[in-house]
Amino acid sequence: MNRPLPLAAAALLLAASVPSQDVLAVKGGQVVTVSGPTIDDGVVLIENGRITKVAKAADVEIPWTAKVIDATGKVVMPTWVVAHSQAGQRGFNENMQNVPWLSVADAIDPAAIWFEDALRNGIGTIHVLPGNQTLLGGAGMVVRPYGRTVEDMAVAGNTGVKLSLLATGGGRLQQIRRLRRAIEDVREYVADFDRRKAEFEQEQAAGAIAADKTWDEQIDRTKRNAVDLVQKKARGWLYVPSAAELDEALRLSQQLDLVLVLGRNIDEGVPLLTKLAQPVVLDAELEYFETDDETQKERKLCTAKLLADAGVPFVLSIGDGGPTAYPWWQLGTCVRNGVDRQKAIEALTTVPAKLLGLADQVGAIAEGKLGNLQILTGDPLQATTWVETVVLEGAVAYERSKDPRLKLLFVEPKPAEPKPAGGDKAAEPPAPAPTPAPAPASTGTPDGGTGDGKPQDGGR
Amino acid sequence: MSRLASVLVPFALGTALAAQTTVFTGARILPGGAPPIADGVLVVTGGRIAAVGDAATPVPDGAAIVDCRGRTITPGLIDASFRGGAAAGDLNEQGDEVTPHLRALDSLDPDDPALARARAAGVTAVHLMPGTRNVIGGLGCVVKTAGTDPAAMLVKADVSLRIVMGSEPSAENRAIRGGRVDSIYYRRPTTRMGVVWETRRAFHEAKQALELSLGATPAPPDRGREVLQRVLRGDLTAYTTARSEQDIRTALRIAAEFGYRTVIDEAQDAWVVADELLAAQVTVLLGAPSAAQVQGSAGRDGADPRYATAKLLADRGIPFVITTGTNTAALELVREAMFAARNGVAPAQAIDAVTIAPARLLGIADRTGSLAAGKDADFVVWSHDPLDPAAVAESVHIDGKPVPASR
Amino acid sequence: MRRYLPLALAAAVSPFCARAAAQDVLLQARRIVVAPDAVLDDGRVLLRQGKVAYVGTEVPAEARARARRVDYGPAFVVPGFVLAQTTLGHDADLAERALPFTPDLRAAEAADPWQEDLLELPRHGVTALALAPASGNVAGGIAALVKSGRERAVVGDDLYLTLSLARNARQAERPPTSLMGAVDLLRSAFDGVRTGIGQGPDAAVLRQAMQGTRGVFVYADNFAELNAALDLGRDFGLRLVLVGAAHAEKVLPRLVQQQAAVVLGTLRPELRRAELELPARLAVAGVPFCFGGDPELLRQSAALAVQYGLDRRSALQALTRVPAALLDRDGTLGALRQGHAADFVVFTGDPLDLSSAHVATWVDGVLVAGSEPGAAPVAEPPAAAAGVR
Repeated sequence: MNRPLPLAAAALLLAASVPSQDVLAVKGGQVVTVSGPTIDDGVVLIENGRITKVAKAADVEIPWTAKVIDATGKVVMPTWVVAHSQAGQRGFNENMQNVPWLSVADAIDPAAIWFEDALRNGIGTIHVLPGNQTLLGGAGMVVRPYGRTVEDMAVAGNTGVKLSLLATGGGRLQQIRRLRRAIEDVREYVADFDRRKAEFEQEQAAGAIAADKTWDEQIDRTKRNAVDLVQKKARGWLYVPSAAELDEALRLSQQLDLVLVLGRNIDEGVPLLTKLAQPVVLDAELEYFETDDETQKERKLCTAKLLADAGVPFVLSIGDGGPTAYPWWQLGTCVRNGVDRQKAIEALTTVPAKLLGLADQVGAIAEGKLGNLQILTGDPLQATTWVETVVLEGAVAYERSKDPRLKLLFVEPKPAEPKPAGGDKAAEPPAPAPTPAPAPASTGTPDGGTGDGKPQDGGR
Repeated sequence: MSRLASVLVPFALGTALAAQTTVFTGARILPGGAPPIADGVLVVTGGRIAAVGDAATPVPDGAAIVDCRGRTITPGLIDASFRGGAAAGDLNEQGDEVTPHLRALDSLDPDDPALARARAAGVTAVHLMPGTRNVIGGLGCVVKTAGTDPAAMLVKADVSLRIVMGSEPSAENRAIRGGRVDSIYYRRPTTRMGVVWETRRAFHEAKQALELSLGATPAPPDRGREVLQRVLRGDLTAYTTARSEQDIRTALRIAAEFGYRTVIDEAQDAWVVADELLAAQVTVLLGAPSAAQVQGSAGRDGADPRYATAKLLADRGIPFVITTGTNTAALELVREAMFAARNGVAPAQAIDAVTIAPARLLGIADRTGSLAAGKDADFVVWSHDPLDPAAVAESVHIDGKPVPASR
Repeated sequence: MRRYLPLALAAAVSPFCARAAAQDVLLQARRIVVAPDAVLDDGRVLLRQGKVAYVGTEVPAEARARARRVDYGPAFVVPGFVLAQTTLGHDADLAERALPFTPDLRAAEAADPWQEDLLELPRHGVTALALAPASGNVAGGIAALVKSGRERAVVGDDLYLTLSLARNARQAERPPTSLMGAVDLLRSAFDGVRTGIGQGPDAAVLRQAMQGTRGVFVYADNFAELNAALDLGRDFGLRLVLVGAAHAEKVLPRLVQQQAAVVLGTLRPELRRAELELPARLAVAGVPFCFGGDPELLRQSAALAVQYGLDRRSALQALTRVPAALLDRDGTLGALRQGHAADFVVFTGDPLDLSSAHVATWVDGVLVAGSEPGAAPVAEPPAAAAGVR
């Protein structure tokens, strides 16, 4: 339906990039470290991709070799960390239900507009996992939304296996039974494998097998992820669509190392969640309405607020379209519903970083961590705030002033430009912005006033 | 029931509203269409605004004082194109494709959850139009969002005539081929062309009858035609729902052809036809500026919403009003204003576009849409700046009475 | 409307009735409810020619001596229940599917006096009912008074006009499909009559409604439908009775103001609390209401309403006197006062206690269900043996 946005995918490639060996200094901004106190007029030094110094400007000497970004009047923050996402893949729900051997590495599309938007919105770390509709869905990986290949983007691999209790074809109980069966099958396989190995060793000890022969059978490649899961060597990310599946999820989390990825309608299950060891992942839609059967009155509920009140730690998700794709909207929604502002920010920085085992790398601006930061035009929770610059591992990955897609979206069309018919999108000339803006109408985007492109079905 | 009158117990119909005066002090007041007041005072008496001003505004003796320091007060928001307010299906009369005389007010359900949601989010009046499944749907009205009796909720009846371009009016119609033969959906139009043809025919017949009636033989009365004639005479404004560039051009063309005044509703592609809109001097209703796509039954119409549209309209001086409209992905009205502000519209203009601008367009600015002495006391006390995503409507007042909030 | 009197008279001279006409009956019981506000303890009522001739001490000694004595001993006698609106489950015959607007159709013409359902009703206490056009038409037609119980029911006078704003009046594949379309259809029809454009038999019916000589029953359930019905009633001066009216509590002030009445649907324990409390609230507000819906569950509805705060007197009134009044028949139905039809029901105790059992039902002075004291029960009608509908 929508007019294609030529060059959109190319935006990343055009962004200037500095070799990470250089020293980068971001000075003058209000540095929101998240993990420590906020520093006004601070300096962040990044050397070889790592933060080496965070302090008041007065206390830091910026090396003369450093590339300096002046962030005066702006806010410097760590890039956002998303602990669970299925966006940015080409097909994330495998039709076959039991496919633990798959990996998102084969599905991630580096050119997906979702990644481009993620970067534009200041997201620096994304844990990509298979979708919610596959029983045993395969392994995830952590990426940054920057790079031409999956290898470029990779931050960490084998970060766990996706499981889902979402009933697909059949009822809820059937799905629960299937998941139990699938896990039991793996257990049986492991037991059988161990038995055969023990027999081999026994026979060898008894001399029935030559002493120089070694046990060379390996765990079946297609089962390795699942075996790691049942042996608690790998973490499971279990999708729990509603409070009704929560009992089973909690039972499973006694046997496996699980993180629960919650669906939206979870309010009845909140008291159960207090027993969990790990933070839970919230649905991207944080607010929903419930109708009282008797009075027919609606009640608005916010999952983040319910969990915050119950003392259950959580991380926020980012949607793949609409307002939930904006971190500021997600944080604003939390605060609007009464969640503490700092707690909300942590749910998109330090808490997911820790959950991913990357607490020493990302989620905060602190010495020793990766040089990931974003420079914002103002308060990160304001709608009118825009991300100016994103730095990933010491390299500038995004600059708003050079964002071709924003320019395209905000350019005023030529008065007589004929609109191409819906069918022949390909015929549209890809010229992004040849029109000199009719003064002063669109001299850039005053007051931080630009729009950003939302994915037009980008990563599906 | 006269025979049963003796059974009836006399029942007092609500006590007369005491002329209680309430004063809201210390808030930042955005009066709508006027400069903000930093430390403002709002005086409300008997359901109306008695005074608005700065801290020096005299406070009447014996008035109840509400301390609003740190809060922001705006006029109650007005949604000039509101989806909801009636049960599903009740706003689309499928008996005919041209039903100009039907009134959306007759289908109003004061209990509709959409009204409750809107009111909790600071919307105090909505423009309720017939649905988008008819070529000419009927008459719209403006109602307050709280109340139990449609007559009491009504701010203004018959403010608009809804006309719909695009694929929606023909979406479920069928040509005479297969299917159930007794279906009412066997009918024109089945194409975009057919939609335009139906519109043109209706107006043509109305015009012809109008011209005839000036002569000796009066045409037989036809209530639908009379409504169209009101539009032709300029007594009633058409609201033409047209999303894509093609449909907007068509809407403007038909309006020019018959010489009637129209508002373009849901003008998603307004950014493409800004010049034509400017030349035609029409007001644009911009549905759901937060949405990147048209969702709902009009999704297939090929409209391409752009974030920059609101700012473009503002820069070009094309009058526009922000609405939630028909997009199923629309957010609360105040958030739609927030997105317009994010995308370059000045904050004051974004607020005006959901308060005084719709009030003027709908002809109800004498009663609501801004905070001024003598107007209905429809206003919202926000926790802070309403364009902040974390802002909430702490209390919403309609005719001076707080309505229950949903938080 | 008077056309049907001959038919009623014809029924009255059937041999079944002849015996009743021949001899007076002196009805005696521990408690006789003449009307909810007039209760006789150890009372007696003299029935003559199918009507109540004398009540209590007014019964002349001479007549008393000559009358056949029927003494129900410790039982309760209450006036027969009146069902102000029913289709007896025969909606298909009582809603013209092709047309939305048929105000001049007469339910009397669809009534089947041999219908077996009618034989069932006395066992549930119902002695008179209004067979009404169903809710599938925006204007359905004219209801008919039916007296149940005997093998061949008596189809009597034409009663009120039924209109419908309920959902199923606008769901068919014919216009209107929306509430505003239905409202407009009615409004333009009434307007047409007012301005004199509307002519013909349907306009005549509407004119009677606007003049108040014919009551108007409107099927309406939710807030929007009720408001629309009340608007029509106000604008065209209709004597309004709302049928169904599940959300009537939301329009209570308007009901009072416009003196509209309500025919409730069946109350069931699983309903919203607001619906169960509705009868009590209507009673307090002074809105006339009666129980309706499933004829077999009338007593259950009343008992539930009592459980949710309705006083017993109003509950009994809502089964007898109020529905009779809504049919403009409170001079002949709904009480056992002098001149009223000798329609009554005998229970072992208070009819609002569901533990009280049905003993007998008499219609027009004739036993039609149950038994006379000391006598073998009247042979159950064949349909009764087959069980309830």
